[in-house]
Amino acid sequence: MQLNNAQVVIRPRSPWEAVDLGTHLARQHAGLLISAQFLAMAAVLGVLSLVLMDYPTVVALIFWWLKPLYDRLPLFILSRALFGERPTLKQALRAWPSQMKAQWFANLTWRRFSPWRSFHLPVTQLEGLNGKPRTARLNVLSMRNSQPAAALTIVGVHLEIVLYFALFALVGMLLPPEVYDGWDFNPSDWLDDEPLWFAHLTNWLYLLVLAVWEPFYVAGGFTLYLNRRTELEAWDTELTFRRIAERLQKGSAALLLCAVCLLPALYSPSSLAAEGLCLPPSSEQLPPEERLLNQALTSQASEKAIHALLDEPPFSNPTTEYELKWGEDEPEKEKTAERDGKTPWWLKWLINSWKNSGGIARAFEVLLWLVVLSALAWLLWHYRHWLADFVGRLQNLKPAVRQRPTTLFGLELDSDSLPDDLAAAAEALWPNDPRQALSLLYRGLLVHLLDEHQVAIKNSHTEYEVLGLINAQQLPQLARYASNLTRHWINLAYGHQLPAASVGPALCQAWRIVLKAAAPLTAPATQAASA
Amino acid sequence: MSDTDKPTSTPADKPASSSAGKPANNSRQKAHQLLHAVRGEINKALIGQQAVVDDVLCALLAGGHVLIEGVPGLGKTLLVRALSKVFGGEFARIQFTPDLMPSDVTGHAVFDLKSEAFHLRKGPVFTNLLLADEINRAPAKTQAALLEVMQERQVTLEGEALPVPQPFMVLATQNPIEQEGTYPLPEAELDRFMLKLAIDYPSSDDEIALVRQVTRSAQADALEVSQLRTLLQPKDVQILQKITSEIALDEQVLDYAVRLVRTTRHWPGLILGAGPRASIALVRCARARALLRGGEFVIPDDIKACAAAVLRHRVRLSAELEIAGQGLEHVLAQLIEQVDAPRL
Repeated sequence: MQLNNAQVVIRPRSPWEAVDLGTHLARQHAGLLISAQFLAMAAVLGVLSLVLMDYPTVVALIFWWLKPLYDRLPLFILSRALFGERPTLKQALRAWPSQMKAQWFANLTWRRFSPWRSFHLPVTQLEGLNGKPRTARLNVLSMRNSQPAAALTIVGVHLEIVLYFALFALVGMLLPPEVYDGWDFNPSDWLDDEPLWFAHLTNWLYLLVLAVWEPFYVAGGFTLYLNRRTELEAWDTELTFRRIAERLQKGSAALLLCAVCLLPALYSPSSLAAEGLCLPPSSEQLPPEERLLNQALTSQASEKAIHALLDEPPFSNPTTEYELKWGEDEPEKEKTAERDGKTPWWLKWLINSWKNSGGIARAFEVLLWLVVLSALAWLLWHYRHWLADFVGRLQNLKPAVRQRPTTLFGLELDSDSLPDDLAAAAEALWPNDPRQALSLLYRGLLVHLLDEHQVAIKNSHTEYEVLGLINAQQLPQLARYASNLTRHWINLAYGHQLPAASVGPALCQAWRIVLKAAAPLTAPATQAASA
Repeated sequence: MSDTDKPTSTPADKPASSSAGKPANNSRQKAHQLLHAVRGEINKALIGQQAVVDDVLCALLAGGHVLIEGVPGLGKTLLVRALSKVFGGEFARIQFTPDLMPSDVTGHAVFDLKSEAFHLRKGPVFTNLLLADEINRAPAKTQAALLEVMQERQVTLEGEALPVPQPFMVLATQNPIEQEGTYPLPEAELDRFMLKLAIDYPSSDDEIALVRQVTRSAQADALEVSQLRTLLQPKDVQILQKITSEIALDEQVLDYAVRLVRTTRHWPGLILGAGPRASIALVRCARARALLRGGEFVIPDDIKACAAAVLRHRVRLSAELEIAGQGLEHVLAQLIEQVDAPRL
């Protein structure tokens, strides 16, 4: 089967639309279908009429009974024509006897009155399924579309009757009024006795009706079947993928896609492929049989490989569970109890313990205590974090003695580390190491603020924050000086910008004026900080 | 301890004041002027939130993303709209809802039945400014769709990595009060935001000015952004970002930033400290702040000023403090107050 060659647009349809498609399909091949059907049925009816010349009613009955056999012919033609391999009239008639063979007995006996005849026929004839696989397949197919299929049969019955009487009416209309008058048509009125030929004629009229209608009926069932498979197997999606794959055939990804898409088609049974419409049934419906024997990886080998894979993780996860059991004597007791076939051991044990109920009460007491203890343990375990936090918090709540840090900004707070005459020391340092000189001046300023003005400078305060604190002191002269010094200090420390040579002496000079005026540095100098 | 023991400062970057400094100085000054104008323009629309505007501009300069948190009606979305108006690049907005899917954010491939081919439909993330409004209303999987684009500035669609236009900035808003039907942002997502800004009520004077301006406007109850001038182009932002990254940073200041972040990791009140991404964000944000300030180099105040916004969403308060009713802001302020500023 090459879905690409399908002569109809394959897409999921509603059942009624599918039947409509069947009608269109039959109309497209109407000439071939009707002529083939007519010739095949005429042959059967001719033989029957010759053999049972005296029993036209029996002939009619047998002819009608054999209808499922005639259905095979239009289905054969349609299944070929659908994929662009329309057979000739001769080919179709020649193939008919072989098409009839499959399950003819079942179809002519217990399946004769199946209302889904045309819907089920492709499964029998095209897929060649029988027995359980056929039943399983029909179950799947019949989940939907079975009602329209039955309706198609019922409509078919009515159409046959209507067409049959219409033909009679047509004949009647062509008769002169002397012979035929009105609708009250009874051959015995104008013929003394109903002759045999008239009965045979009615049989042939019925043949004409069947030759026209039967192909449409079969085509309707066939397209319903196709539609159901399109739904089940997503043929439309597959077709789209195939087209994409064809278009992108150069890329490796496309090849992969192609392989994935074509896999079901490639692996379909080859015997059926020869029939034109090969319809692979799903694997679980088929009994396992060896296939693909002419290649390295046979179906059996691949099945083994798949089963080996399925036995490994993550598909199978064997777990070993250990559990506690009663002592060794218990199983023996159990066994004896079972062997005795009388009261089970646990009942005996219960009765015994009931007799001396002091024991059972104690057992319950122990059990209850165990429950209480385990509940406590669980509570403790569950709130362990909270408890830890709580205990930790209690520890944290101890009064923290706030001590004055011994060092601030990396220098001793007792001003010992600063030189006696800070301005002079800075001035001396300025020409060689202006950074050290500025650092000395800035730290001197901080120590001055701490000692003289009790400014609460913290380790975390940045230079500008210190400046803000100074501004809050309401000492405009000191604030101006501090601002100037801080600016130079920050430019040097973080911006690596050397101040002009004249800045140093000016700052030192100002230091003497501003800080001495504000308050003299009281701490005695012990050693020069700078080296 | 004597002076000789103290570590001498070594420049982490080339000092800007060296011989090549002149043109750099010039461009920096221009950048500062431009930023000043931008700030003024945004402040015209968003009244009384100067600090937040500064922070958002910092994040833009530092190439980071911003999470803005505040109760309804404080102008979170207005801020972003104003920024997008002043910034001439592309702007996209995603209103996060519970049924928003990751592909609604990043884009997806659609199958065209006619041509039978997959076409890539790029999502709203392919823009310069992305407003993720009420980001915590979408489930975690949708929030996670932003992870890649926020960190790597690219989106992987159908196995193909597509870069987003530069500059790229995500501005997400969320509402801290209403928690029903919201999904808290996961830590990994939070960490990708450079700053989390808490937008607060404006001051009394600002509010008076705001009400006066809004009631005078033609629209019902919204401040208009249509009158704002467009001052920045995507190219300008990239240049500004470059200038920002070249701002000098002293080793001491860098050390201060890292120390601040490291302190969060063993601070008693915090069960989750900030990662190295916080240090990086802190330094970059400080550089941006220095440029915004008009400075030539980063000073410890720059670090200190953005520390709270950088750390806020990257640490987690211990349950014990939470029960005690201590706020995260308070703990962070304490922490910042306890870390020594750089000294020589």
